[in-house]
Amino acid sequence: MRPVSFPALQLKSLRKTFGSTVAVEGMDLVVPQGALYGVIGPNGAGKTTMIRMIMSILFPDSGELSVLGRGSALEAKDRIGYLPEERGVYRKMKVAAFLVYLARLKGVGREDALTRLPTLLSEIGLQGVEEKRCEDLSKGMLQRVQFLAAVIHKPDLIILDEPFSGQDPVSVRILRDRILAEHRRGATVLLSTHVMAHAEEMCQHVVMIHQGRKVLDEPSAGLRRQFDPTTIHFEALDVAADRRRLAVVPGVGRVEGTDGAFRVTVAPGADPSDVMARLAAAVPPARIELARLRLEDVFVRIVTGSADQDADRALRASLAEGSEGVPA
Amino acid sequence: MTVDIRRVGLVAGREFIAAVMNKGFVIGLLLMPAIVAALFVVFPRVVSTRAQGVRGEVAVIDPTGQVAGSLGESLSKDAIARRRLDSMKRVLESTPEAFRTMAGGSEAALERAVGTPPELTIVDRQSGADLQAAKDWLTAPAAPGGMRHLALIVVQPDAITRSDGHSEYGSYELYVPENLDDRLETEFYDAMRDAIVSARIRARSLDRAEVEAVMQVRRAASVTVTAGAERQTNRIFNQALPWVFGGLLIFGVMIGGQTLLTQTIEEKSNRVVEVLLSAVSPTELMAGKVLGQMAVSMLVLALYIGMGLFVLMSVALIGLLDPMLIVYLVLFFLVSYLLFSAVYAAIGAAVNEMREAQSLMTPLILALMAPWVFAPIIGREPNSTFAIVMSFLPPVNTFAMMIRLASTTPPPLWQVALTLIVGLAAAVVTIWFAGKVFKVGLLMHGKAPDMRTLVRWAKQA
Repeated sequence: MRPVSFPALQLKSLRKTFGSTVAVEGMDLVVPQGALYGVIGPNGAGKTTMIRMIMSILFPDSGELSVLGRGSALEAKDRIGYLPEERGVYRKMKVAAFLVYLARLKGVGREDALTRLPTLLSEIGLQGVEEKRCEDLSKGMLQRVQFLAAVIHKPDLIILDEPFSGQDPVSVRILRDRILAEHRRGATVLLSTHVMAHAEEMCQHVVMIHQGRKVLDEPSAGLRRQFDPTTIHFEALDVAADRRRLAVVPGVGRVEGTDGAFRVTVAPGADPSDVMARLAAAVPPARIELARLRLEDVFVRIVTGSADQDADRALRASLAEGSEGVPA
Repeated sequence: MTVDIRRVGLVAGREFIAAVMNKGFVIGLLLMPAIVAALFVVFPRVVSTRAQGVRGEVAVIDPTGQVAGSLGESLSKDAIARRRLDSMKRVLESTPEAFRTMAGGSEAALERAVGTPPELTIVDRQSGADLQAAKDWLTAPAAPGGMRHLALIVVQPDAITRSDGHSEYGSYELYVPENLDDRLETEFYDAMRDAIVSARIRARSLDRAEVEAVMQVRRAASVTVTAGAERQTNRIFNQALPWVFGGLLIFGVMIGGQTLLTQTIEEKSNRVVEVLLSAVSPTELMAGKVLGQMAVSMLVLALYIGMGLFVLMSVALIGLLDPMLIVYLVLFFLVSYLLFSAVYAAIGAAVNEMREAQSLMTPLILALMAPWVFAPIIGREPNSTFAIVMSFLPPVNTFAMMIRLASTTPPPLWQVALTLIVGLAAAVVTIWFAGKVFKVGLLMHGKAPDMRTLVRWAKQA
């Protein structure tokens, strides 16, 4: 049994500047053991800088951090798996040789690594590539090889910087499953992404970073409560249903839409579940659901306060899937 | 920070395998001996230093009336062949037996030396002939089917008998057309010397064979006497030795250093470096890389030294080589490699691509090339002030000392020790500085750094 007396990761008032640019400021973070944390924020928010400080690749100007109970990741290297944002392979090396090399650097015996390899490769959809040179693999396949390099030594803490960037949907799904499997194995996972949907789908806890500062640190479940949605999607069974019959339901603020499909805004103070029950009673529904809370919405609301329409749109665009942009 | 030897070993192992299991490396490894072999074995066989199979006429204006006749004799095919044979014999006498064998044996060498001598016809102009007309003859095109006009020789009147009041003999003038093979010109000089000397000796009623015998003193092969042993001195060997050992030292450093540079740049540009840094510290990475390439260099040096020893053994010259020199070579290699490789690694980590490395490499290349320049100076006077100063001046001190050690008058032991100590100290300082640059540079992408940037990084780390 692993002792659980200390968190997997603890940052205290971390600060890092590059020249006159403040990359990370006043960063506090506690990641308990066995957690699955998502760090989200647009490109350039400071995610990679924070992760590099956790990995002791960069050193903070001020502040403290502990990793797996040690003062520095350097003292626990073999127990950490790291997929950097800037990741590559030895192009001329064979896949098996590359992975075994990294496993051995992480303290795994050669025989051990060779035994683990076939299973790991087939789990990630790369069976039979052992003897191929890295340069002969597609980009998506290489990214999966790189992910394996981060987990081949069964680390206690896995840190993934933008693990999904540049991946096709199939690779994203495979990777997501493998990350969740590692988490089930008991590893603490911290992943960063600028694509909100990825964090939303899989993380138990979300940390939002904007311009080097932490703007949110909440369990995903709590988020839903804190940012209770106030919009209900309502589709009437009868396409010709009258909008006004919904508008008069108590607790309804505003109703938009035509042809039996409506967006109903809940009035301030009203309970969305009561309102939904009353709406269903007033007009027979084909479908009725609370609008899903999107991290993107939360993030944009926190950062811009929804006041500035242009900033709002720009930020949304940078958080949408597929917008790669320049890596932070 | 602690350095994990196991990780350093793993990095070194990968570095070694990646360098050695490379087609370019194997080709490069074989290329060097191939070039040397080509120079010593193939080249002399293919390239003749003798004019071959030329036919033509040589005009002579001879006021003395005593030279033209002998010249016909001296320029005859037989005489040319005999002179070539004699000079080759002299070369062969001063060549160790084994090299003669390597060059294809004495007989073959002599045969090659003679080759096909030119066929020359002497046209004796009258002594009062018009010089200008004779020169015109030289430039006039040969008649169809006729022979080429190759030279006009004008013998000076006092070439055989000194004119009154002069202590020196006269000589001759040689006029040749454009584009005359200069090897043919050499034949004319030799023949004229021969003809005039014969004529002068005849004029004094002496016997040429007797005079030559009087002039002849066989050169002795000197014997080097060391404490307790004597060995045949070989001048060529002694002169070549400092070059060879200095060269091996430079070559060894460059092989490892260059590969270190390219492999570090590759790791940085293909972004594998941050993956590595999650497993090893920059210090471990650099140490592993430096040691891995050191093993590559040592392998190459061992192969070349082995080949050299084999050649020396097969030509029975192995006794001329002091085995301590090889020990010193290894020692000095280690010291200079550590210094230079640290710089190579730092440059590799600092730049984004090979092109950017060029400007930073210039001082390094100069430092490596300097020994080539001063090798002959030190080789000739191994204990001159210049040589001594160079032996204590990093980063060239190790090369200078290696050249001195390989020379005929090796330096005192305390100087060797001091060179090693100074070299090691310089290596430590360089590694310390380079290590800092390496650490910071690895994750820096973007603008190509200059020297000032590197110093700033070193301060920052």
